[in-house]
Amino acid sequence: MTSSAGSLTSSRSLSYVALFAALMAVFGLIPKIDLPFGVPITLQSLGVMLAGCLLGPRRGFCAVALFLLAVALGLPLLPGGRGGLGVFVGPTAGFLFGWMFGAFACGLLMRRMARLSGAALWAGAFAAALVGGILVVYAFGIAGLSWVAHMSLTQATMAMLVFIPGDLVKCALCALLVQTVMRGMPGWRLDRD
Amino acid sequence: MRSLYSSQSTWLHALPAWLKLASLSVGGTLLVLMNRPLPLAVVFGVVLLCFASLGPPAWRRARMLLGMAVAGALIVGFHVALGSTLLGVVSALRLASAALLALMLTLSTRFDDLLAVLEAVLHPLQRLGVPTERLALGLGLMLRFAENFHAQWQRLDDAYRVRAGHGGGFRLLAPLTIRTLQTAERVADALAARLGR
Amino acid sequence: MPDDGLRLEDVTLVRGTRRVFEGLTLHLTERRIGLVGDNGAGKSSLFRLLCGLDRPEAGRVRVHGLDTVSERRQLPRHIGLMFQNPDDQIVFPTVAEELAFSLTAQGAARAAARAQAKDFLAQRGLADWAGRAVGELSQGQRQQVCLLALQICSPRTLLLDEPFASLDLPSQARLSAQLAATAQQVVVSTHQLDTVRDFERVLWLADGQVRADGPGPAVCAAYADDVRARAEASPPHHGMPHA
Repeated sequence: MTSSAGSLTSSRSLSYVALFAALMAVFGLIPKIDLPFGVPITLQSLGVMLAGCLLGPRRGFCAVALFLLAVALGLPLLPGGRGGLGVFVGPTAGFLFGWMFGAFACGLLMRRMARLSGAALWAGAFAAALVGGILVVYAFGIAGLSWVAHMSLTQATMAMLVFIPGDLVKCALCALLVQTVMRGMPGWRLDRD
Repeated sequence: MRSLYSSQSTWLHALPAWLKLASLSVGGTLLVLMNRPLPLAVVFGVVLLCFASLGPPAWRRARMLLGMAVAGALIVGFHVALGSTLLGVVSALRLASAALLALMLTLSTRFDDLLAVLEAVLHPLQRLGVPTERLALGLGLMLRFAENFHAQWQRLDDAYRVRAGHGGGFRLLAPLTIRTLQTAERVADALAARLGR
Repeated sequence: MPDDGLRLEDVTLVRGTRRVFEGLTLHLTERRIGLVGDNGAGKSSLFRLLCGLDRPEAGRVRVHGLDTVSERRQLPRHIGLMFQNPDDQIVFPTVAEELAFSLTAQGAARAAARAQAKDFLAQRGLADWAGRAVGELSQGQRQQVCLLALQICSPRTLLLDEPFASLDLPSQARLSAQLAATAQQVVVSTHQLDTVRDFERVLWLADGQVRADGPGPAVCAAYADDVRARAEASPPHHGMPHA
């Protein structure tokens, strides 16, 4: 149920936030390789982009935060079966925090492009996913990595560059899914707060 | 809601929820901090023994761990190919241990009890305006949806298979997203009818 | 205004671009009410209005004196809705937790709610269900859990949206018996006319309007006749190549 202003009822809000948190949890269970730095570049960043683009900045942020809360409580929802408070002090902790703000950024940008459709919507969603899912996330991640692993920012950035192509594919996939959802669910609003 | 909780009792069922949750938290953190194959192998052995000691209820659910076993094998294989076998073994052992611990927690602890522990832990934050009840409900819903994804994927795959003669794979990602959003709407409605908001 | 029953006063409901109801006025006080009609006639929409899930564009909806828009928070105490699919409705993994949630959602303390849930089950001879995982129950049993979760708060009115749809015959019979035994007001929307034929009042909805409204046997017969007539009137091989 929505009011005319496009705001959701409390139950709808909670349900959607929980759904995208669950999506991230499920993405984490799909096996991925643990690389030398233990960096979890996985489908989970796709979950971040989707949460931001489809739910808007506030709820996207909450979805990722809820997921991270579950991880903090000890559920092994990060790839490699990792969980617990320990992951928040490891070298990849920056990425975890980056996910929250990345979703927020995706949502902020997507809101501007809510009225697009077709190929323009795809492009807009791709751009939103790129800025939020890659730029913002990596900013936090690289900062965290260089701080914890005692690397210079340049070194950290170089180390992460190899994952960019994979993430670009995820941005494209996210854009495609946003397009599909808008086609398949006519009432869905992309301009929520 | 389909869940992993087992109504048949094991010795773990008798332990209080907070103790199990704390152990999982500590255990999970320790696993992350451990880096050498031999200690990890020992830990894995101990965990496996504990799991086996739970009896038939646990063995029945061991099927769930098949996916994890495959993942472990893949990880090791990848690292062997890269020449970093040790890293692969370490990762696989960590994954297996953590999965077993989590499964032991889930099948022996009532959801409601887990939520109660959470609320108790988060209670002090309530003064700061953190809506702890809502968080608890949100976590519950999250787990419920996560379990549900697999069932929905299965149904979509069956429908696709019957018409196409082979599995759907990534093509199902889009209809799955829509299907899960619709489920979330219905669950939200049912919740709203009971909560009044 | 007397604090009785379910009232719709000149209600207009718009969903998306469709005007579902226009100027609908109803007063439902009978203990057993049936709701029949084609899919899309507005049966589910009517239920959603009564629970406060949708708000009317115009007019008012009142449930036992409470306005469904302004006093929505208090509605769950007075009216419950059972959805078609129990899997969409059940939130918690075990039966006792699910029942206890109905109580905690209204503000009861967790421990007290749990105890009350167990007592409730014991009273109905279902004490062994308390700890059972919902995932192990059959479809009919899960639906029973939904019903119990609604009844534990003893709302004055129960709305059931096509409850017989996916039940086997024994489960249908059991549900019918449970509904007959309860003291609450029950409104059932269904395609199985036999289950509502002996209700005091049955409403036949078509395109958002009340086609017929009266004692069960008469309205059910009228609806069944209408369906038969429509089926005979439309060409039998419409759209298919002639054999």
